[in-house]
Amino acid sequence: MMLKGKTALVTGGRGGIGRAIVSRFLREGARVYAADLTPEGSLASHDEDGSVFVKLDVTKEDDAIAAMDEVSNASGKLDILVNAAGIEIEKTIEQTTLEEWNRSFAVNVTGTFLTSKHALPLMRIASSSGTSASIINFGSYDGFIADPGLAAYCATKGAVHALTRAMACDHGPEGIRVNAICPGYVDTPMLQSFFTGDGSGGDGKTIDQLQKAVRDVHPMRTYGTPEDIANLVNWLASDEARYASGQLWVLDGGLSAQVQQMKL
Amino acid sequence: MRLVGKNAFVTGGRQGIGRGIVDAFVSEGAAVTTCGRGPRPEGLSSNIVWHSLDVTDAVAVQKLASNMKTTDILVNNAGVQVEKTVTDSSDADWDAVIGVNCRGVFNVCRAFIPRMLSGGSIVNIGSISGNVADPSMALYNASKAFVHGLTRSIAVDHGPDIRCNAICPGWIETGMLDAGFDLATDPAVARSDALARHPSRRFGTPEDIANMSVWLASDEAGFATGQLFTIDGGMTAASPLNPGLF
Repeated sequence: MMLKGKTALVTGGRGGIGRAIVSRFLREGARVYAADLTPEGSLASHDEDGSVFVKLDVTKEDDAIAAMDEVSNASGKLDILVNAAGIEIEKTIEQTTLEEWNRSFAVNVTGTFLTSKHALPLMRIASSSGTSASIINFGSYDGFIADPGLAAYCATKGAVHALTRAMACDHGPEGIRVNAICPGYVDTPMLQSFFTGDGSGGDGKTIDQLQKAVRDVHPMRTYGTPEDIANLVNWLASDEARYASGQLWVLDGGLSAQVQQMKL
Repeated sequence: MRLVGKNAFVTGGRQGIGRGIVDAFVSEGAAVTTCGRGPRPEGLSSNIVWHSLDVTDAVAVQKLASNMKTTDILVNNAGVQVEKTVTDSSDADWDAVIGVNCRGVFNVCRAFIPRMLSGGSIVNIGSISGNVADPSMALYNASKAFVHGLTRSIAVDHGPDIRCNAICPGWIETGMLDAGFDLATDPAVARSDALARHPSRRFGTPEDIANMSVWLASDEAGFATGQLFTIDGGMTAASPLNPGLF
């Protein structure tokens, strides 16, 4: 039980990766607030998992304040914040409307900003007890190298990477660690949408063929699961990671360690 | 003419990228000396000095350096490539790749840096393969990472007198690239697939690399040191996973 006695809030906590993080945190003994737009989140089925649902639209400051009030009243502190809420728009910049661009930044960047900003007072209370508090942002390997037709998403993730370093510098002295997880391809509703949407460039292939081709490009010959991501989030949230801060943690099955895989 | 009055020494100037750099330096007004294993190549302009030199031979490198005039620009381009995994690589492969790509660069830098003038510029040819791995190129990939590390070390240790940077070429149109495609099941398909993975939709040319070499060698790059400059048509800016190509 690596998180016994800790309180955690996970945005996008009823979504693909967020739900796996919530589940892992609960198994590790944390009290967990799953913040999302709806109790169901982006997955159709919802099993009661023992987390406390908090309604949160990360783009709304009033929502962020209300969510932290709720945590404050019930728990009095926050040890762990995971900013997992995110969206992607599968378009080039020419195809992207200003509204879509703003929406991407509102959720992925402003959402990380607002939730973190209003969580900080509760996190200072947690860190004042002697163990560090931990914020884990969601960057992406797309913040380093680009997937085609995903321009706004790539840009938001680059912004999250820089924000992560900035927050780590500013709040490290207060005992608050800030890191970003940078997933590659992870089997989530977002990925399945990517396979079926305009971003796939399907070329007449079935989704199964496309998925196999994607797996085969990875040195590990698979893409990740939400649990793979939750494993590292859990470590970064725990006191074992007490010296880890300001870093971008790529978790992509080796995908970005290699160059383009030519057909030779 | 950005290199007038400068003396340049370029290793591996016989062909490919090295030859492109030699020709570009000459056209920018530099006095160029180059070298390679074997005799002077045909067609090399008569105003270019050629030395038969194996850069792995530290004594020969020292001897050449001591016989030359002061050097303003040093380009470590000589390199070899062995296409094997770690477990397939022999001791001879190690000696060949590490000997030229690592020891050779070290030998030349050690011999020439004391003879370089203040304001001098070293340009090492690294590779995108030193940053991300090409399959079955284990020793080559590692050797280029060495070049990148040495580049930063020289910049730190020998600034402010000497600047040192590395260029990381991607796929460049040389005989080596064509030979690679010829080995493919369908060379035409292989070539078009590789092109599609380049945002530039073309491979690089020795001139593309020479252009950056000229800039880094010139006084325009006076504040550039200790850095890796990737010239790859955008290939490594893109994810290796491009679903549109499956």
